[in-house]
Amino acid sequence: MKVRIKSNAFLIAVSAVILGLIAGGLLMLAIGSNPFTGFYYLFRGGLMSMERIGNTIATAITLMLVGLSVAFAFKTGLFNIGASGQMLVGGLCATLVAHYVFLPRPLYLVVIITAAFLGGAAWGIIPGFLKAKFNVHEVVATIMMNWIAYWSVYYFVPIYLKAPSLETESRSIAISQTLRSPWLSKIFGGGYINVGIFVAIAAVFILKFILDKTTLGFELKAVGSNRFCAEYAGIKVNRNVIISMMIAGGLAGLAGMTYYTGYSRNIQIGVLPQMGFDGIAVALLGASNPIGVLFSAFFFGILQSGKGFMNAMTEIPPEIADTIIATIIYFTATSVLFKRFWDAVGRRSKAKALQNQEQADGEGVSHE
Amino acid sequence: MKKGIVVLCVLLLLGSVVFAQGQADKGKKLLKVGMVTDAGTIDDKSFNQGTWEGILKAQAEGLVEAKYLKPSGTTEADYLKEIGNLYDAGYKFIITPGFKFETTIFEAQDKYPDAKFVILDGEPHSADYSEFRIEPNVVGVYWAEHESGFLAGIAAALQMKKGSFGFIGGMEVPAVQKFNWGWQQGLKYANANLGTNIKMDSQNFLYQGTFDNIAAGQQLAATMYDRGVNVIFAAAGGVGVGAINEAKNRVTAGKDVWIVGVDVDQYPEGVLPSGKSIILTSAMKYLDRASYDMIVHELAGTFPGGEILHLDATNDGIGIPLENPNLSADVEAKVKEMYSKLKSGEIVVADSPDGGLFK
Repeated sequence: MKVRIKSNAFLIAVSAVILGLIAGGLLMLAIGSNPFTGFYYLFRGGLMSMERIGNTIATAITLMLVGLSVAFAFKTGLFNIGASGQMLVGGLCATLVAHYVFLPRPLYLVVIITAAFLGGAAWGIIPGFLKAKFNVHEVVATIMMNWIAYWSVYYFVPIYLKAPSLETESRSIAISQTLRSPWLSKIFGGGYINVGIFVAIAAVFILKFILDKTTLGFELKAVGSNRFCAEYAGIKVNRNVIISMMIAGGLAGLAGMTYYTGYSRNIQIGVLPQMGFDGIAVALLGASNPIGVLFSAFFFGILQSGKGFMNAMTEIPPEIADTIIATIIYFTATSVLFKRFWDAVGRRSKAKALQNQEQADGEGVSHE
Repeated sequence: MKKGIVVLCVLLLLGSVVFAQGQADKGKKLLKVGMVTDAGTIDDKSFNQGTWEGILKAQAEGLVEAKYLKPSGTTEADYLKEIGNLYDAGYKFIITPGFKFETTIFEAQDKYPDAKFVILDGEPHSADYSEFRIEPNVVGVYWAEHESGFLAGIAAALQMKKGSFGFIGGMEVPAVQKFNWGWQQGLKYANANLGTNIKMDSQNFLYQGTFDNIAAGQQLAATMYDRGVNVIFAAAGGVGVGAINEAKNRVTAGKDVWIVGVDVDQYPEGVLPSGKSIILTSAMKYLDRASYDMIVHELAGTFPGGEILHLDATNDGIGIPLENPNLSADVEAKVKEMYSKLKSGEIVVADSPDGGLFK
């Protein structure tokens, strides 16, 4: 039974991806380009050399952590639109650590990860608290928190982290203080791949463990499934809402760390990181399952980092790649249709099997 | 789930094997020129567009094959990625407009030693400013914005004869500051030597702080016009677009206000339905000429690699537009005279706020 549900989620995701790619291909045809060359260069751009694979992974790291943040909140029935703001605050904390804390590498990594997590968590806990105490809708609260983060960074960076001549970004972090590490860079021939990959993958499995194997995870999912039922069962709903938003915020904070101190080396004012919103797509495609998020982040990473090369090699504008992503989201959002479709396919094949050996499978079908 | 991981690994491996094969060389005839845009779009009526038009001119003459890429963000990583994309696609002559590319080109000059780079408005240096180094495959280009602002100041002052003038800058960065200082010196010079009576008030000389906040530009311009300012010099990208919009509104309502444009001839941006434009003149730096000239030099084998070029009046790198429908013939003649005085060195414009200028 369990395996069957999982393969369903997988099938739905794959169908959404394929239909999204087909829609993108039709768009390419519509503007008079060959979709096969288009996709060829799109994927080549993400994967053709070790350096490019490294950069794709670097993009995927951030997407993965944001995706996890959104997915985790989803599980508790919360919609975290505030990942951008949480990224900014987490990134700002990480940048401060990178500028002012000098420690042996392992200790340093612990400090920077903690700082980024706490920064993001602080930004997540406020909407969580408002939701729990005053029933302020988390969508509104997190969007507002995005803008508070945006303007806080706008104020904070020029005053405390000003670059020598540029008004618009913070001083660059020394390479040795970033998350990039010499041995990873050596394997991938430079680029922006960084130790954030281990943080992201660890986060995937930790979340998986929390959700599937702990009481906390059970409670969170219960609140997500039916708030009132959970309350009736004696689960402290408000406490769980706050914890969920705190962890989601912390994850987005980590994403900010990988973006601002791994991929980039400075933090810019006046920019709300787009990845905070892309993460919603990652979570949707990954069916809010940590493992699913892992794969969908890599997929979106390829699209994101390959589109520039597609644009350089063909006349296809990079917006096509964004359109594909958007179409995939549409198809994932309408996943109910695919679910029905695949269920119907499943039923038909079952029925066929039933005809073949009538007596054996009677019980299995009645369970369906 | 294990199955899924295995399948993905196999796919990734297959992908990297298939895609790793070198790309077949297409008969290489034309020089492939690439450009990476700065913040903003290719049709920003300013920096990106000016640079691109020079490249397009070379393409129209059949000299080169051109392509521009728009990075997804404005970090050094985003810029370097697009340079990598251009390079891998065979575009090995890359033009980047804007000082934001300084650290990017600093890295790229070593990473792609067989590619050539032109950086407009800057020179390569390391992220912490500890090292300024320009390799033989890079040319940095600077403009004498103060001379351009000076000429526009003379032209505007002579045309209006009297009134109150102002300035709206984008970010307070050297290129914009120099426009401002030159503009003030031009107005002062006209007052002292050419019999004009232009008032300047420190509260009308401002920097907005961004290059893209159109609404703020409109608000600033409205405040200044309300204070009685007649002419605003807007050196501010998108913020200037807001100022132009405000001037259009006021002129439509029957007021007598003007804008002085920047970087490129912005006359077409200020055209009203009546066919008249609210752009008095523009303080230009010939971006298109710079990108075009660099391409021509490259083709002729005289690419001035390793040099930092300073374009000013002596080498016709700056000036006001050739045609100014809003300036009288007398004024244009007078400005030409001033231009030749700049050229000969008879007049020197300072690129600093010395001499009691507003910063």
